[in-house]
Amino acid sequence: MRSPFGWFLLKRLAQAVVVVFFVTLIVFGLLHALPGGVARGILGAQASNAEIASFNRAQGFDKPLPVQYWMYLSRLLHANLGTSYKLNQSVGSLIASRLPRTLVLTGVSTAVAFVVAVPLGVWQAIRRRRLADYVITTGAFVGYATPVYFLALLLVIVFNADLHLLPSQVPGTYNLGQLLAHPSVLVLPVVTLAVPTIAVFSRYTRSAVLDNLSEDYTRTARAKGAPERRVVGIHVLRNSLTPVIAMLGYYVPVMFSGAIVVEEIFNFPGMGLLFWNAAQTSDYPVLLGVILLIALATVTGSLLADIAQAVADPRVRSGLK
Amino acid sequence: MGQTPRSSRAKRYAFPALATAAALFAPVLSGNASAQLAPAASSSAGASATFALPPNAAPNWIFPIGTPGHLAGYNIAVQNELFVPLYNYDTSSGTFALDEKVSAAKPPVYSNGDKTVTITLQKLKWSDGQPVTSRDVQFWYNLVKADKTQWGNYSQGQLPDNISKFTVLSPTTFRLQLTQAYNPGWFTANQLVYITPIPQQAWDRESAKGPVGNFDMTTAGAKKVFSYLVSQSSRLASYASSPLWRVTDGPFQLKTFTTSGYVTLVKSSSYRGPEPARLSSVTLEPFASDEAEFNALRSGEVDYGYIPTADIPQVGAIKASGYTVQPWVGWAISYIPYNFNNPTMGPVFKQLYVRQAVQSAINQQTIADVIWHGYAAVGYGPVPQTPPSSFLSKVQAKNPYPYNLKRSKSLLASHGWTSGPGGVLQCTSPGAGAGHCGAGIAKGTKLAFTVLSESGSTETNNMMQYLQSTLSSVGIGLSVKYEPLNQVLDQTSACKPNQASCSWQGSFFGTQGSWYFPAYPSGEQLFLSGASANFGSYSNPAADKLIQETNVSSSATAMQAYSALLAQDLPVMWLPNPDYQVSAIRSSLKGVLQNPGASFMQIEHWYVSKG
Repeated sequence: MRSPFGWFLLKRLAQAVVVVFFVTLIVFGLLHALPGGVARGILGAQASNAEIASFNRAQGFDKPLPVQYWMYLSRLLHANLGTSYKLNQSVGSLIASRLPRTLVLTGVSTAVAFVVAVPLGVWQAIRRRRLADYVITTGAFVGYATPVYFLALLLVIVFNADLHLLPSQVPGTYNLGQLLAHPSVLVLPVVTLAVPTIAVFSRYTRSAVLDNLSEDYTRTARAKGAPERRVVGIHVLRNSLTPVIAMLGYYVPVMFSGAIVVEEIFNFPGMGLLFWNAAQTSDYPVLLGVILLIALATVTGSLLADIAQAVADPRVRSGLK
Repeated sequence: MGQTPRSSRAKRYAFPALATAAALFAPVLSGNASAQLAPAASSSAGASATFALPPNAAPNWIFPIGTPGHLAGYNIAVQNELFVPLYNYDTSSGTFALDEKVSAAKPPVYSNGDKTVTITLQKLKWSDGQPVTSRDVQFWYNLVKADKTQWGNYSQGQLPDNISKFTVLSPTTFRLQLTQAYNPGWFTANQLVYITPIPQQAWDRESAKGPVGNFDMTTAGAKKVFSYLVSQSSRLASYASSPLWRVTDGPFQLKTFTTSGYVTLVKSSSYRGPEPARLSSVTLEPFASDEAEFNALRSGEVDYGYIPTADIPQVGAIKASGYTVQPWVGWAISYIPYNFNNPTMGPVFKQLYVRQAVQSAINQQTIADVIWHGYAAVGYGPVPQTPPSSFLSKVQAKNPYPYNLKRSKSLLASHGWTSGPGGVLQCTSPGAGAGHCGAGIAKGTKLAFTVLSESGSTETNNMMQYLQSTLSSVGIGLSVKYEPLNQVLDQTSACKPNQASCSWQGSFFGTQGSWYFPAYPSGEQLFLSGASANFGSYSNPAADKLIQETNVSSSATAMQAYSALLAQDLPVMWLPNPDYQVSAIRSSLKGVLQNPGASFMQIEHWYVSKG
């Protein structure tokens, strides 16, 4: 007999393939519909018409769009994402060098946010409508409303330029190992990214815990004499995490796509800047490669979120068909 | 020489070498980082410096023959430190001129009515101990000749097409037979400057494992060698380790090169030329954004950086933290081409009096001083106005059309333009004779046009708003459409009136200078009828004749005559030329030559003053 969970997985994977295919199709079409040729972006004002024609021929731009798309797909099936026009490197190697750095940055900041926000949200819910709740709520709103750009500059000016406590940049030559061996370089970028995430997660947790605290099962647990620590820590927390887990799932594509503003300010060349710079120079292979990756991350993220919710919540599990 | 886009640039605590530099730079000196080259005795051996590379400018090509798309300024800057080019121009003499000390050859000797060039090499050695010989130049020539379309600097009819014969006369002397007589000034500065001797004894191979031979002497062999070297140059990660790129004759050698463009150059112990490096190492640090670069500058983490235009108001703070702020003036001009073939406005643009009226309504000095915060130079013609040069005519220098709104209005009024709806002038007296609007201009034609402008720069936006305001005050309507640079360039192409692509009327792509010249700023690519970058299809037989003369005759005055004519004939709307960048140089770092060519940094001159 087929397991409902296996069937669910299979169905979702098939959906993911279709989604990714359509993403490539739409993005490819949109990119090629944009005005402004690649050749001019790459070769500059001084390129002659002959040079531009020769570039277009070499890249296959003189062929009809469906043929170009077919060429792109067949390269993709051979795990070849193409070569960046601008950076003189393969898209695969560019992503391979940028992605781990980005994942460290976004992964650590999301983890920090999760670790800080969940207890904060729970504590706020317990202390509902007391001074601490109001203070943290205000802080969360300020954190959420502060533009990341402003926050980053503020942190740089205070902790780097004035106090000389923390570096303002991540050395460009650092590989992943060096990055982890010098955690001080990550402090400011991680804090910048984590602050708004903490604000979001803590609000979600607070409201979910509040909901659960008024549920019948909580009252029952209390009536049975369970200590408050057990009621909140075991019963309420587990049920309250469902929406946060769903949120985490949707953070996966965000983690893969990088954080343009933070990468810009802290000179942290990751996925965000790779994409941004490619967009400015019409570097199609890079744009397509990154979008493909983000599409994969999106479908994987939502899949993981569903699975995690199923693990955390028996009601979700029983609903799988 | 390609345009040096900076469309579009850490960290001392992380690098022992940079920490050393920090210690050396600690005593902040007063005075400026002038272009004066100091005696070697005052340099501090063992010092190093960090140079900030702007965003999207990371070097990505090492082979001195750049394929299309790989000619960006910082590629050339790094290549020139490793491989001495045949001829190099800089401002070490006070003007932008040939600098023999940083060139691989002595000045060329022209003979046979300027149809023959004889060149003698300086005494340079490759790092493998072999001398730099005529054969190394012939090797470059053979490779480029065999696969010229793969060379990014190739332009039909020019190098290598214009060399009919290359003769090696001796190990140090060779002769070029030209297809016709050329102006020696033009040929040296705009053609010979592309040649770089490359180590034939090490690079003349068809594959990594193949033997070294004379493969370049046949076209097929040369193509294979070229292809092999290009493939090696595509492997960025191996630049610093590949034995190929270790055979150099320049003042520096490559120590580090990361795929993100982080480059460390170290002083070459094998350099035998007259300009050895004074610093023991120099780091080119790529920055992901202007903000990141400015943060690094503010924290004192770079020795030679730049102040983004948005941060110009903070010049004072940067100076106070031990930097000298110096504009890096580009050997460039900036302008808005008129599309003379636009079906609507072409006939209007063709009237000189209209162009004069437009130009007279523009106060360049105000734009340069106020909008560009003083970091732009006025430009009244086709030759860069600064630094001063023998190419600049008095007519251009004096500005034939000074700011004068009254003159602008009267020019238009006297040609049959009267105020219409919304205050925009319209032609009420069509016809070709005196007092009429001019041939091809229909009655009721509005004196209004649209300029496509590159987006992303506050200064450019402000300049466009100023132009809108000043032109509207004389009754000329100007609309501005902002788009990213490459989209602007893509739409700004030479066209015929009946083509759909001819809908553009004016175009601005000069936030960092519209056009960077090689050392000899002639206009064969810009203003010659049918030239590749003559986007507006300007055509003037007198200008064509003068441009030809600047290229082929030995006349020393041809450039001035050309400068004067085009300053008066206004083939484009002349605008101030923004500086290449506003540099911030640590006060103790001396010997910095901010060469107007912008792609040459000549790092060998840099030294650290001990104070």
